[in-house]
This record gives sequence, structure tokens and C-alpha cells, in this order.
Amino acid sequence: MQLDNTVEVETPEHVRFRFHAAGPTRRAWAYLIDLLVRAGILLVVEIVLVLATGQHLTSGKAIMSSGTLLSLFLLEWVYFVAFEAAWNGTTPGKRALRLRVVKAGGYPLSFMDAVLRNLLRTADFLPVGYLLGLLAMTWDGRFARLGDRAAGTMVVIEDPVRVAAAITLDPPATAAEIAAFPHRIALPLPEREAMELLLRRRDLSPARRLELAEILAPVVERRLGVKSVDPVRFLALVYYLAVGGAVSVGKSAAGGLP
Amino acid sequence: MNRTQDEFVAARKPAWDELDTLLARKHLLHKLPPASISRAASLYREICSDLMRARTAGYTSDVLDLLDSLAARTCSAMYSAPPYRLAGLWELVSTGFPASVRRNARFMALAAALFILPGLVGYAGALRSRGFAIQIMSEPMVAQMEKSYSEFGHGRGDGADSMMASFYVYNNVGIAFRCFATGILFGLGSMFFLVYNGLTIGVVAGAVSAAGSGRNLFTFIAGHGAFELTAIVISGAAGMAMGYALINTGQRTRWDSLRAQSGDLFRMIMGAALMLLVAAFIEGFWSPSSILAPVKWGVAVLLHLLVLAYLLFAGRARGGTP
Repeated sequence: MQLDNTVEVETPEHVRFRFHAAGPTRRAWAYLIDLLVRAGILLVVEIVLVLATGQHLTSGKAIMSSGTLLSLFLLEWVYFVAFEAAWNGTTPGKRALRLRVVKAGGYPLSFMDAVLRNLLRTADFLPVGYLLGLLAMTWDGRFARLGDRAAGTMVVIEDPVRVAAAITLDPPATAAEIAAFPHRIALPLPEREAMELLLRRRDLSPARRLELAEILAPVVERRLGVKSVDPVRFLALVYYLAVGGAVSVGKSAAGGLP
Repeated sequence: MNRTQDEFVAARKPAWDELDTLLARKHLLHKLPPASISRAASLYREICSDLMRARTAGYTSDVLDLLDSLAARTCSAMYSAPPYRLAGLWELVSTGFPASVRRNARFMALAAALFILPGLVGYAGALRSRGFAIQIMSEPMVAQMEKSYSEFGHGRGDGADSMMASFYVYNNVGIAFRCFATGILFGLGSMFFLVYNGLTIGVVAGAVSAAGSGRNLFTFIAGHGAFELTAIVISGAAGMAMGYALINTGQRTRWDSLRAQSGDLFRMIMGAALMLLVAAFIEGFWSPSSILAPVKWGVAVLLHLLVLAYLLFAGRARGGTP
């Protein structure tokens, strides 16, 4: 279960929980979106300047105006710091990709952290196209670029999580069905995980679920010496008898999650 | 008690959803009514024990992920970062920044040397031969500098002042930030930028002086130079302090050693940026104005003394207490 990008933190109350650290690709997409947002802001500023001053862009005067130069400064150096400080570690691009910058201990980042990690972008960018930052990320379990390491931050993924559906038996198991099985059923972990996968997932079509069950069911049948009619129902039965016990079958099946 | 995953989820889901809605509120946690806060705190403890139970029982990863993300979100809501206060800015200007500069006096001295010595070399070289100047800078650049300072001292007019002030903000703060940030390469980047900027400024001064407009140039830079050149040196010193923390780590790991310095680094670079904003203002509006040279020199001396006194003495009385 331990994936490469999980980072475990421990709070002062000795609570341990895990983050998923974001890798370079996802962060590059977020950066690209931020780049487009910044380009869009600059474009709007230029259009407003041209309309307000009546100077054509081609004259160069609008381009070299204080409005343009200040915008360039703000977009290059202040954009990331301001958003990360004000939006608790997110920018428009990071929000779109559901990323957030947090301290390595899981706390929100401070203004100082936002300043340091974003000023050091300059160093991460070297020699070209964030190459140094990418190298630093491959060196680190948290994908921290130089700026992240200096500020003690990491970028984590905040995908919404839905609990998978409960395993249901509809109609409830009959006494005859249960009687066909041995009293104790040992269920090796790989088989149990395979069952969980195909019985719980919401996004499987019934046909596909059946198809997968037809691969797994014969393996279990052979081991238990029980014949099955409907492979999906058979696996659900095995799961309940092995994991939940016969008593809970009817109750859980009735009270399954929506 | 051994429960199946589905029983566990069915029994605990209402509590998880309750915490989720508490966290999803638009308001920050500490702005909610007291009852909600203590409810969130007790739900947080429940979720933490749910997480331990689920992990021990070997439930599927979706349940663990949900609990992990709930616990993480609650933790970050409970331990929120210190709020931003205007008083923090005042603290930085009145005590923090000059105190950090003084703590890094060694790096300040080294940075000043790396900036001034190449500047003197560039000045002397460009003063003696034009060939030296165009080795360092391109010929059209040198010619442009010579020309622009020969016809100087009449003001810019025509809204160019505010444009130039903005340009100085964009350009100079950028230079300072780059000078600082590249210090992460064990200080080498900061050293390079200090030497490079010192040399370039020296060459410009030398070439312009050789062309006979030296007075114009020095009258121009004397005022804002107090802030601008000092700020570049400070950012270089901060960069070198950062690089040195990676080399001389004491009993810490390399990055822990750097992070132990991060407060000083932050205050130095923010202070340098503020100084450059002041400098850009002076350089945009005061330096090019047609005010008589003696007045400008008098003001320049005052500004230099001001910067020096500020960095040496500001916040000293309260320096002992945090």
C-alpha cells in the first residue's frame, strides 16, 4: 500500500497521517496555468493602458510605460508570494490541479516561507527550464525543489476522496448458500484486495465486474472446493464469510452505503 | 471489537461528514462559534483514532486516504500560520532588518569587497583605455552611456520620471533577488553577480569619465546610490550567508543548517527590496532633476550617513529582546 509519493508526518500530539507529495508533472501543469493567468493579466493591463493613453502598442510607448513595468515586476516576483500567502499555499494554477504548499510538518506555510520558496525559483530555474529544480526533486522523497528545501515546505495533492461503496449481498445470503462453505475460510491478502477492488468500485459496469469476477472466482473455487453459479455473488459471499462473518451479511447488505 | 470495513464506515461516516462540513465553511476555524471549535477539536481526536483503527485493521486505501486527508486538513486549520500584521512590517524596518545585517557583518564585508574592488578595477581600466571598456560591455552600450551622460542635468520631463522609477523597481529589485537566490549554489551565484555588477558599474563610470561627463554621472548616482548599491551588497551578503550555511553546517544536516538561518535571510532580502523601492523613487524623480549639483551632493552625503547610521544603530537598544 505504501506508495512512493506518500509522506508521513507526526504532529506534536503523536498523530501520524499521510500526505501525497505532488510530482514534477503535475506541478509543471499548475505552473503552466499560472503562466497563462499571468500572461492574461498582462494582456488586460496592456489593453487598458492602450485604451487609456491612446498610444498604439507599435509606438513602443505603451510597452515601456510605468504600468507595464510595474505589472511585469508584480507578475514576476509578487504573484506567487501573494497568492501562496493569501490563499494558504495555493495559486490559481495550484487550485486547478488541487495542489497546496504546506510546511514539511503539515502546517500551513508562513509569509516568510512563501517568500523564500518563490525567490529561489530563480535558482531552481537554472540553467534553463527549471532543470536544477527538477534534479533536486528527483533527489528527494517529497519532490522538494531547492526553494522548498530552503523554506522547509512541500507541495501536496488534495484530491477529493470518496469512500468506495459497501459490499452488498442482495438478496441476503440464505442458510443453504452458507452451508455450502467450510466453517472457516482463510482469505489470503492478494485475493482479498482483488475482491475489494472489483466488488467496491462504483465505476465498473456490471458486465466488466462480471468479467473480472470470472477470472478471480475459479481460483477461489478451486481452493475452497465450492462451485458457484454467479461469480460476483460468490465472491461477495466469500468476502463476508471470511472477513465479516455470517452474522453480519444480511444487516450490512441492507444498510449498504448509497 | 472486530468490525468489518463496511460496518465501520457506516458507523463513523456521519462524524467524518460533520467535520468535513465544519472545515468547508468559508470562515476560518477560529472565527466559528466556540461550540463549533470545540466540536471540531473533539472530532479531530475521533478521526485520529479512527485513522489508527483503520490502519491496524487493514481497511482499503480509500478509507485511509479519506481519513488522512481529513486529519491533514483539520491539523492545518488548527495550527494556522501566524496572521499577517502591519506591525510585522514595522518590526522588520525598525529592528529586524538592520539587526540581521549586523549579525552577518562578515558577509557584508566580503560582499562589499566583491562589489567595490571589481568596480575600482573596471573604473580604472575603462578610464585608461576604451578598448578595456568594450571588452566588458558591447561597443554600442558604451557609446550610448557616453552619449546619455554628456547631455545630462536638465531633467527628463514628459512623464518619463515615473516610467524610469518603475523601470528601476523592475530591474533593480530583480537584480537583487537574483543575486540573493543564486547564493544557494554554495554562494557562487551571489559572488558572480556581485563581481559582475560591480565591474559593469565601474566600467560605465570609467568610460563616461573618460568621455568627459564624469561629473554628470557621479552627481546622478550619488543620491540613490546610498540605497541602491548598499541594497545590492546586502542581497549578495544574504546569498553568501545562505551558501555558507550549506557548507559550514555545524552539527546539523545541510538543509537544517540553512533553515536555521532563514529568518535572517528573509529579513535581509526583504529589507534590501524595500531599500531598492526607496532608491527607485529617488533615482526616478530626484537624481535626474535639474537641481544644482551642490544641493544634490549635500543631500547625497546626508543619505549616505542616514543609511550607514540606520544599518549600524537601528534597533540596537531592543536588539536583546526578540
